[in-house]
Amino acid sequence: MNKFLTGAMTGALALTGFAAQAADDVTLQLKWVTQAQFAGYYVALDNGFYADEGLDVTIKPGGPDIAPAQVIAGGGADVVLDWMPSALASREKGLNVVNIAQPFASSGMMLTCRKDSGIASPADFAGKTLGVWFFGNEYPFLSWMSQLGLSTDGGDDGVTVLKQGFNVDPILQGQADCVSTMTYNEYWQIIDAGLTADDLIVFKYEDQGVATLEDGMYVLEENLNDAAFVDRMVRFVRASMKGWKWAEANPDAAAMIVLENDASGAQTEEHQKRMMGEIAKLTAGSNGALDIAAYERTVASLMSGGSDPVITAEPTGAWTHAITDAALN
Amino acid sequence: MWQKFGPVLTVVLAIFALWYVMAVVMNANWAYDKAKRADVELGFSELVVDTWSQKKPRLPAPHQIAEELWNTTAMKSITSKRSLVFHSWITLSSTLLGFAMGTVLGILLAVGIVHNKAMNLSVMPWVIASQTIPILAIAPMIIVVLNAVGISGLVPKAVISMYLSFFPVVVGMVKGLRAPDAMQMDQMRTWNASKWTTFWALRWPSSVPYLFPSLKIGVAAALVGAIVAELPTGAVRGLGARLLAGSYYGQTIQIWSALLMAAALAAALVMVIGQIEKYALRKMGMAR
Amino acid sequence: MNMYLIGALVFWLVAWALNVWLSNLKPTRLTKLLVPVIFGITLLVIWEWVVRGLEVKAVLLPPPTMIGVAFVSNIPTLWADFIQTFVKGALSGYFIGCGAAFATAVAIDRSPFLQKGLLPVGNFVAALPIIGMAPILVMWFGFGWQSKAAVVVIMVFFPMLVNTVQGMQAQTSMQRDLMRTYAASYPQKLLKLRLPAAAPFIFNGLKISTTLALIGAIVAEFFGSPTVGMGFRISTEVGRLALDMVWAEIVVAAIAGSAFYGVVALLEKATTFWHPSQRG
Repeated sequence: MNKFLTGAMTGALALTGFAAQAADDVTLQLKWVTQAQFAGYYVALDNGFYADEGLDVTIKPGGPDIAPAQVIAGGGADVVLDWMPSALASREKGLNVVNIAQPFASSGMMLTCRKDSGIASPADFAGKTLGVWFFGNEYPFLSWMSQLGLSTDGGDDGVTVLKQGFNVDPILQGQADCVSTMTYNEYWQIIDAGLTADDLIVFKYEDQGVATLEDGMYVLEENLNDAAFVDRMVRFVRASMKGWKWAEANPDAAAMIVLENDASGAQTEEHQKRMMGEIAKLTAGSNGALDIAAYERTVASLMSGGSDPVITAEPTGAWTHAITDAALN
Repeated sequence: MWQKFGPVLTVVLAIFALWYVMAVVMNANWAYDKAKRADVELGFSELVVDTWSQKKPRLPAPHQIAEELWNTTAMKSITSKRSLVFHSWITLSSTLLGFAMGTVLGILLAVGIVHNKAMNLSVMPWVIASQTIPILAIAPMIIVVLNAVGISGLVPKAVISMYLSFFPVVVGMVKGLRAPDAMQMDQMRTWNASKWTTFWALRWPSSVPYLFPSLKIGVAAALVGAIVAELPTGAVRGLGARLLAGSYYGQTIQIWSALLMAAALAAALVMVIGQIEKYALRKMGMAR
Repeated sequence: MNMYLIGALVFWLVAWALNVWLSNLKPTRLTKLLVPVIFGITLLVIWEWVVRGLEVKAVLLPPPTMIGVAFVSNIPTLWADFIQTFVKGALSGYFIGCGAAFATAVAIDRSPFLQKGLLPVGNFVAALPIIGMAPILVMWFGFGWQSKAAVVVIMVFFPMLVNTVQGMQAQTSMQRDLMRTYAASYPQKLLKLRLPAAAPFIFNGLKISTTLALIGAIVAEFFGSPTVGMGFRISTEVGRLALDMVWAEIVVAAIAGSAFYGVVALLEKATTFWHPSQRG
């Protein structure tokens, strides 16, 4: 018991300041469980790209209860992966996270509906039941609905929102007309479960003009004043992007590396290879530097949320090119 | 033999029969749905075959789970991360550590509550309130705080197990330590027994029949705690991670096999405590 | 050491001394109420000042004052969540689960065959960790409160059954002999001896079940829910880093759970006043 108390107290003390790091350790907190969505980082780790840069990288898998922003605030990671809307929302909560790199050029998020529910276009959503992910991932959906002028409280001229679990059961069991899916993951789970592409109609956030920047790398703003930290991040981003480009070129080998690193032993080779193929489409076209136009589009869409916008003020200093400029020249 | 195992066998067989029937009923919708889209007429025998062999059934048939269990325990080396034995061991180790911590904490608190007036009045209501805090909500916080000082792995998970398992022990022990009736307490007083003697000679022995049922609940709760804790630790290893990954990928067969493994673990733990209880009560002359 | 931390330490020492003094007075209704309240206030003050003193970030652990503000300014939301999770999910599941367990215990008490057959199997089935059942039950019973009630039923069944069965055997052989001399029928034995003797055990199970019910209903909402409910709010607001709202929801859970427990404890006092444990 004593040990725990002492531990908890030291913990509380350590939260006050940023704990001093050994020279070249970097801890990365993923947004979700180990899967091909994060192939670039695992490739860089296993192929020694990080070691070549003199880095000792620890990759922490995420999960349904892990808020990457909370982990970085607690000093549990140096750099975290997060989506732009939730990162900007964290900034409004007083946690200053900064985007230092954006390996994903396109968004993989979409809403997948059964054709037999009578939905042919977003205009048909009224009165339907939609499955949505929460935990910080609901922002793109909310800003889309407010642009469509649909209330999310149910009723005939609004949509009924369900908090979707971690899977696509609601559409399979007929509990929802549409569910949130990623092009590289949940969509294929629906297909695997026995529905065919002909039974489904998909609405990509990308096509609806509400796409968000997914899986960017974020660090704490105060750390960017530390030259040694910046140097580590430059090397980290350079090696990570090398990993991503290798993964794009060798998708099957990358999927096997991910499988090697999956400690839960629950992932299948077939699913990971297919996921890697889809992921490669999203990372293609990004050299790691944040696309300013895409950023401004995201901010505008988040602020135009009608009566309940996701963010209320134009964020400043939410991104920097300093790291990528140094890493990619 | 029949005397002992007959009733259990009858009940188990009845459950299996019911299970197979339910598998047909619950999976029928999906089978019909699929047949309709493929434009096939489904006869009764095809329906039964289909509902018992779906890849992602609502309710998998027992033989599907048995097959999965066999494949993930006996067919894999126990150090493989695809082996359920490996994952069970991960979960069991934090369960046992947490249960031990919880039992000690629970007994100490109960002793304090029974003997110290200030503690009796002030601590008990807050012990109860502590249990109404949903554990999943604070589990990530505990993990984040402990991770910040570099404590990771077994201890944060065990702390969550402890949090769930100390409560039944406190409740049972307070009741047990107060179980001696006034006559017995008066007897101790006539002997001029010290608080210490009263405790060891009267309170402690009479609390034992209350302690063991609490321990059984406590160990089951500790297992739940360990499984819950495996979700926010990154769902890396352990039965909780298997459950989550299964749920995430809609692999119902995998969920059920992890679930049965966890249930077997819980049953084994409860059984061990039951045996100790029998032995202890017999030794103390309290067996009925 | 800064002022906040020293203040917290001093406050703790003073409050502790006050509590010891109060509880050594002749116990009255007032001291019985005052002592736990002072203890609680002490915890809150220490929390507030330690958080401020160490400048812990609000996204990790907000101070109680911030939680209080969030609580007061979100009462309509909290009330809707309370109705959804506690009244619809937890309470209905609690009554069904405890009722079923009690009925099962009485039923298998009559038949040694069922007792031998059902108890080991029931132990095994009911020992299923609820967390794994939750996604399955959400799949079966839908996203509404029904699936949460189902989780609660499974969660409370085991402790209730074990305690009731244990309690039904809690008579002395002398009491049993007395019943035999009276030539009491089974129902008479059940009502006059076995159930009253089992009451302390039954209430033990009922009390443990109150807290399990609330936790079960909240945890089940993590696996899918409508956009209302305490578990939904907690998981969503953690994702949004609105930790003050998370804690406000936890406060609601704590108040509801403690009140629930308190009601059962009062019922116990009223019905088992004869038992030594109630006389202290």
